[in-house]
Amino acid sequence: MAEIVKGKGVIAGIAIGKIMLAGQNLDGYLMAYQPDGDLDAEKKKATDALDKVAEILQSNIEKLQADGGAEQAAIMEAHRMMVQDPMLAENINTQLDELHNAPKAVLAAAEDQAKQFEAMDNEYFAARAVDLRDVGKRIAKYLLGVKEPEIGDGAVILCGQEIEPSVIAGLPSDKIAGVILGAGSTTAHAVIIAKARAIPTVVGVGSAIEKIADGDAVILDGEKGDIVIRPSDEDRAGYAERIKKQAELKAYYEELAKLPTVTQDGVKVQLMANIGSPDDVDNANKYGAEGVGLFRSEFVFMGKQDIPTEDEQFKAYKEAVEKCNGNLCVIRTMDIGGDKPLPYLQIPPEENPFLGFRAVRISLKRHELFMPQLKAILRAGVFGKAAIMVPMVINVAEILAVKKLVEEAKVELAHEGKAYSDNVQIGIMVETPAAAVMTPVLAKYVDFFSIGTNDLVQYTLAVDRGNANISYLYNHFNPAVLRLIQLTIKSARENGIWAGMCGEMASDPYAAVILMAMGINELSMSAPSIPRVKEKLRAITSKRAEEILEVIMGLEDGDDVKAQLNKLI
Amino acid sequence: MTEATMTIENKTGIHARPASIFVQTASKFKSKVQIKAKGKTVDAKSILMIMSMGLVKGTEITIIADGPDEGDAVKALQDLVESKFGEE
Repeated sequence: MAEIVKGKGVIAGIAIGKIMLAGQNLDGYLMAYQPDGDLDAEKKKATDALDKVAEILQSNIEKLQADGGAEQAAIMEAHRMMVQDPMLAENINTQLDELHNAPKAVLAAAEDQAKQFEAMDNEYFAARAVDLRDVGKRIAKYLLGVKEPEIGDGAVILCGQEIEPSVIAGLPSDKIAGVILGAGSTTAHAVIIAKARAIPTVVGVGSAIEKIADGDAVILDGEKGDIVIRPSDEDRAGYAERIKKQAELKAYYEELAKLPTVTQDGVKVQLMANIGSPDDVDNANKYGAEGVGLFRSEFVFMGKQDIPTEDEQFKAYKEAVEKCNGNLCVIRTMDIGGDKPLPYLQIPPEENPFLGFRAVRISLKRHELFMPQLKAILRAGVFGKAAIMVPMVINVAEILAVKKLVEEAKVELAHEGKAYSDNVQIGIMVETPAAAVMTPVLAKYVDFFSIGTNDLVQYTLAVDRGNANISYLYNHFNPAVLRLIQLTIKSARENGIWAGMCGEMASDPYAAVILMAMGINELSMSAPSIPRVKEKLRAITSKRAEEILEVIMGLEDGDDVKAQLNKLI
Repeated sequence: MTEATMTIENKTGIHARPASIFVQTASKFKSKVQIKAKGKTVDAKSILMIMSMGLVKGTEITIIADGPDEGDAVKALQDLVESKFGEE
């Protein structure tokens, strides 16, 4: 029976492989080291080593930056700064006066600094102590002529009480199957690097880590935190199915991400991602998103003490726009109301926040809020393709007011000498019945429609989706909703603008099929939903989808629509 | 000698990335640059010293520069702190 050691799973996934103990023992090398009899010569060796190691780190940083490993590069940058730190250099010098041995002095100085950090009794500084020891070891290794660990053909599972971040960062991703840490810190740089590379990781194993020996075969479950040491065939079989499924799904999604979203008979639909922060675009790209169909700009506003400045917003939007690599990035303007109050907005509580002072209604009243946002989006447009999307619109007047402010924002930017784009599309969310019914008119004033189904369903059916007593009524296949959606898409088509959808309905593969048949151009959803929707659309012809659409538009009840779709698709 | 006093407003304080940026900025200047807080004064070009100060949000700090470009140094660092290191 294999032994199971438990820790805390921090990065999900199953890894299977041989243990490589990280954190090398330098004692043997230190004993063999011959210091220079002349103290000044030994001091010069130490100084030269600091310069050389800083140089090596700098070249690693540049490599990482070129490979898109920005997070790892930032960690290496912190290390480089520690290597060049005047305080560390002084400490090494003092230690040398006593020890007359460069590598020993470096290790002692780093240890001394690390201890000071640990004494601060704070998880963050305890983690930095690991960085410092890592830096000390790296310099000592250079002085001792020790090579960094090299990995053979197979992938290994790195295991250590603490693992120097540079060990993980320095190895190619495909050579590390998993990571096990005895220490409990989830803020350790080693964990951050593992997360960026999606390497299954278990931390907080504690002293039980001593049961794991170099070269042991183990199975690591990064979700549950289990480590099966020297697993039996039975143990392996138990995990084999999960590993197989995990690998198959990953490979399938990776393949699918590269393929276009096009039906059997050549109708294209653009699948985009809903995001909350610029970082989400990286993940979206992995799932094959062709741009961002909804950037919820609320995140820029939430958790703040004060209204975010134009520059703060510009930075966030620019980053998202750039990461879209030439695809469109649709930024929704502030969609805040009495249901998610922000202290600095000072909006009094309302009896009926969903029918109250919210979204564009606030934006149009509070120019000190809206103008910086419009200006930030216009400026971000210089770095790719940006679009402004206005939520909660119910009439033409609101669109005209927004467009007027956009023009004013451009004038202000021109006066301030700031670069902005003149090609930023302006569209609206169609999420009120009023807007949907009026789309034949509204289409003359905007560049696109994006249907927000969460609110459209709620307002059309007068159903609060959060109310358990009536949640059975909430259904995006309700014929009233479907007719409004069909009208919206038709209005867009007839006026030569594009129509998309960014509500939850867009991530329903069955809905995607009929929306495509209605003529939708774009569907935006949370990135992990993209493969399933794409799979469904690639499997059908638009002709078949149109037949199905005709059948379901003839139905009188939303639940029947659901049942029919399950049968027909 | 030029100096300026301010309060740290960004969420993480001067740790991690903000500390790196702070030191990189200070290192661009020829002047001797120091940071004074909690009754201690340390070299603003040393990431270890700055990190060991535990400069969390709400800490009042004084930036002191002495040298040929002292005015620019203090201004650049003050801007950085007041812009919350662009983090929020």
